[in-house]
Amino acid sequence: MNISTTWLREWISPKVSDEVLAEQLTMAGLEVEGITSVAPYFEKVVVGHVLSCEKHPDADKLNLCQVDVGESETLQIICGAKNIRTDLKVIVATVGAILPNGLKIKKAKLRGIESFGMICSESELGIAGNSEGISELDADAPIGQNIRKHLNLDDNIIELDITPNRGDCFSVLGVAREVSANYLIDFELPNFAVISQGISSIATSVSNTIACPKYLTRSILGIDNSVQTPQWMADKLMRSGQSLHSPVVDITNFVLMELGQPMHAFDADKVQGAIEVRNAKSGEKVELLNESTVELKDDTLVIADDNSVLAIAGVMGGLASATLNNTNNILLESAFFEPVSIAGKARNYGLHTESSLRFERGVDFGITEIAMDRATQLIIEICGGKASDVKACIDKSALPKLPAINITQEKIQKVLGFELDSDWITEKFQSLGFEINQQSNNSWRITPPSFRFDIRIPADLIEELARLYGYDKLPVQKLSLDANINVIAEAQIDKYEVMQSLVARGYQEVITYSFISEKYHDLISPEAKKIVLSNPISAELSTMRSSLWAGLLQTLESNQRRGHSDARFFEIGLCFAGVEASKQSNKLAGSITGNRFDAQWSGEPTPVDFFDVKADLESILALTGAKFIFVAGEHSALQKGQTAKIVLDGKQVGWMGALSPVVAKELSLPKCYLFEINLKLP
Amino acid sequence: MVDKILDGAKSAIEKAQSLAELENLRVSILGKSGELTVLLKGLGKLSAEERPKMGGIINQAKVSVQDLLTERKNILETIALEKRLLEEKIDVSLPGRNVEMGGLHPVTITLKRIQSLFAKNGFKVETGPEIEDDFHNFTALNIPKHHPARAMHDTFYFDEGSVLRTHTSPVQIRTMENQKPPLRIIAPGRVYRCDSDITHTPMFHQVEGLIVDKDANFAQLKGLLIDFLRAYFEKEDLKVRFRPSYFPFTEPSAEADIECVICGGEGCRVCKKTGWLEY
Repeated sequence: MNISTTWLREWISPKVSDEVLAEQLTMAGLEVEGITSVAPYFEKVVVGHVLSCEKHPDADKLNLCQVDVGESETLQIICGAKNIRTDLKVIVATVGAILPNGLKIKKAKLRGIESFGMICSESELGIAGNSEGISELDADAPIGQNIRKHLNLDDNIIELDITPNRGDCFSVLGVAREVSANYLIDFELPNFAVISQGISSIATSVSNTIACPKYLTRSILGIDNSVQTPQWMADKLMRSGQSLHSPVVDITNFVLMELGQPMHAFDADKVQGAIEVRNAKSGEKVELLNESTVELKDDTLVIADDNSVLAIAGVMGGLASATLNNTNNILLESAFFEPVSIAGKARNYGLHTESSLRFERGVDFGITEIAMDRATQLIIEICGGKASDVKACIDKSALPKLPAINITQEKIQKVLGFELDSDWITEKFQSLGFEINQQSNNSWRITPPSFRFDIRIPADLIEELARLYGYDKLPVQKLSLDANINVIAEAQIDKYEVMQSLVARGYQEVITYSFISEKYHDLISPEAKKIVLSNPISAELSTMRSSLWAGLLQTLESNQRRGHSDARFFEIGLCFAGVEASKQSNKLAGSITGNRFDAQWSGEPTPVDFFDVKADLESILALTGAKFIFVAGEHSALQKGQTAKIVLDGKQVGWMGALSPVVAKELSLPKCYLFEINLKLP
Repeated sequence: MVDKILDGAKSAIEKAQSLAELENLRVSILGKSGELTVLLKGLGKLSAEERPKMGGIINQAKVSVQDLLTERKNILETIALEKRLLEEKIDVSLPGRNVEMGGLHPVTITLKRIQSLFAKNGFKVETGPEIEDDFHNFTALNIPKHHPARAMHDTFYFDEGSVLRTHTSPVQIRTMENQKPPLRIIAPGRVYRCDSDITHTPMFHQVEGLIVDKDANFAQLKGLLIDFLRAYFEKEDLKVRFRPSYFPFTEPSAEADIECVICGGEGCRVCKKTGWLEY
């Protein structure tokens, strides 16, 4: 989530720089992924008023302007923008200014006439914005005001990576609460008073109160939705990564960012009959705001009227009942949807919205009314209209229960390994908004506030204390040394010994993907069970290997292509005969190809053969001290007549032999020799 | 007579150029019918007074001839050896004839090193299956269905409802199911996420540890990890930073960052200018 620090500081402003604040948030568990300033550095850029604008006598495309920048003398500035005109409020870079692109503003002569500055676009200041011509400021922009102040450019955007447990921090309010707890600055939610009159015109009911314990609606009649969203709100929304729509939608988005409550506004005139919050009927369809039509499943909670589905609850509204610039009457919704009934729904329909993001993680069920009033207040302020009373469908029994949690100082010490001061603990619990129901010197009974639905058990409280204390300041201890020496039999060899002896015999270890292509599976072990991923990365990586040879042969093939033709490889890893734990076992496989020795001055190179690989295999089998025998056999990947089963105590434990010429041809491989044995080593 | 033979032998031996020639000379002088042997055999014809005197002279001559032969043989052998050495001289700088050493995969080297460092603190290695059931990979780790943390995992699924394990944590569950505390284990191994781009491979390796003990606490965990990281990176004063995070199955949860080992905390491309590497 992106959050503007000036917005945050309107709510709570510790006396530290934005960078220090960001660092503190990271260390408190709200990881700051980045901090970027809204505008690069520049100065001597102010609001100007174009008093007159005439054609340059010697240049068609240039204008000669007299601009008031609040100084005793007006500035004569030559400007080439098409949209320059008399009485416009503009951005003026005065003489001495240095713009972010390195341009130094100097007194200049253009076609014989002097110019004392430059009228700028926002892009010339390195800030986002429409850069068709110069920027047109509001008519009431104060002449001479520093543009950084006027456009609130001394602002930083903090990019927060919020962990799934902290859904409460997906808002300015949530982050402000964290700042309050970290800096011990008192903080109270403002009061958003609304004068309401009359009753809401649309009847509302909830048939699945488990999924929707709280559903509030209010009609606001006679609004003007064609007005411009105020600049202060537009700035905040854009700096939070939201795009702009009509004022009503912008206001609901604003409340979402400010208080963390996703809201929705329906065009009241497009609602047929009564509103019902219910599960979708299987196969019902709705065209969403993003203009996609989805067919709904019956596990999906929807908002419907008498005729059709108006919205997927907590995910996205429908197009048919959407508010437009000409909308006069709206029905405003503020609801609490239970996280589990919303979770995964958006993804099922290929959607991901700011609303579903919050409802999936949990929204404060105590903010529903406050958000409704806040949005109403803003709509009336910006769009006018008359607000009705709030119609509330609330099933208190279905609302989340706030548990009382007992915690003792002793328990905290046991987990953290050191003693925290009891007064300090009390202070921190209070700063987090926790209600302390009972307290003795060294024990507390705590009820978390409705926005901290992640606090359920004593360990949650301990983590809160630890992070406010600062993980970095937590003391460290040595592990006690009472661990037993693990018993290892002298005769026991481990896999590293096997690996090391193969390395000494010239083998390079490889680690290849555990999933292979179906083609390799069918070539190498057609008789083995095919275990296929439902969502593979690609067909090449779709089937779980039943033999390590697939990976070795692929490695061989890519080494051949790179001119590395004498190669010995091995791999140790799980092979899969089924999805059950008992059907997954370690194997060791090797491959050799090319010549016995590197090309050498002393004689002709000799190609490797069956007995080279057999010698290698025997050398590692010898490490076990057990008696293995080699029996002629047949294997679909190996050459008939050059294939051996490896047998231990009458049981087959592996295979070795020359790669079948048929397989070699199919995979464009040279002559090579393979072995694979079951491996039961630590 | 003897002197004459002796002189003749002397010049012949000195001229001999091979061991065979020398042997022929030995036979012609000292052999069964050699010149001195014949003289010795003729002693019987002499008077009793002359016999020992003459015998002494002849025997003296035999010893002299033998010495000459031995001396010449040594010289000829030395010459022959020198000749052979010259013939057998090689260019010792030519490369040897051998199979080149192979090598372990860097991941294996790393895991082995991590295992050995933890083994010093009494940690045993545990492993588990890579195709896991939903219970061990998620539910038992406090990640129920629809938990947002599941979305972060990009899981590979099989039709039967099994998954490729997304982390090594199911090994913790399997160990706790099968063993009695106290426990000290680490679980290294392959894990899988359905994610493939320039900075992600769909298969990678993790190592995780578990301590179950009556007096185990967070301070010990922090101490252990700092010790381990400093040993692993071979830097006694390596800066390690702990910050709160969230994992559904641990509490308190922490992320540990280490001072960037590339730039030493100055800020570079590898640490994205933060000076810290997430570990």
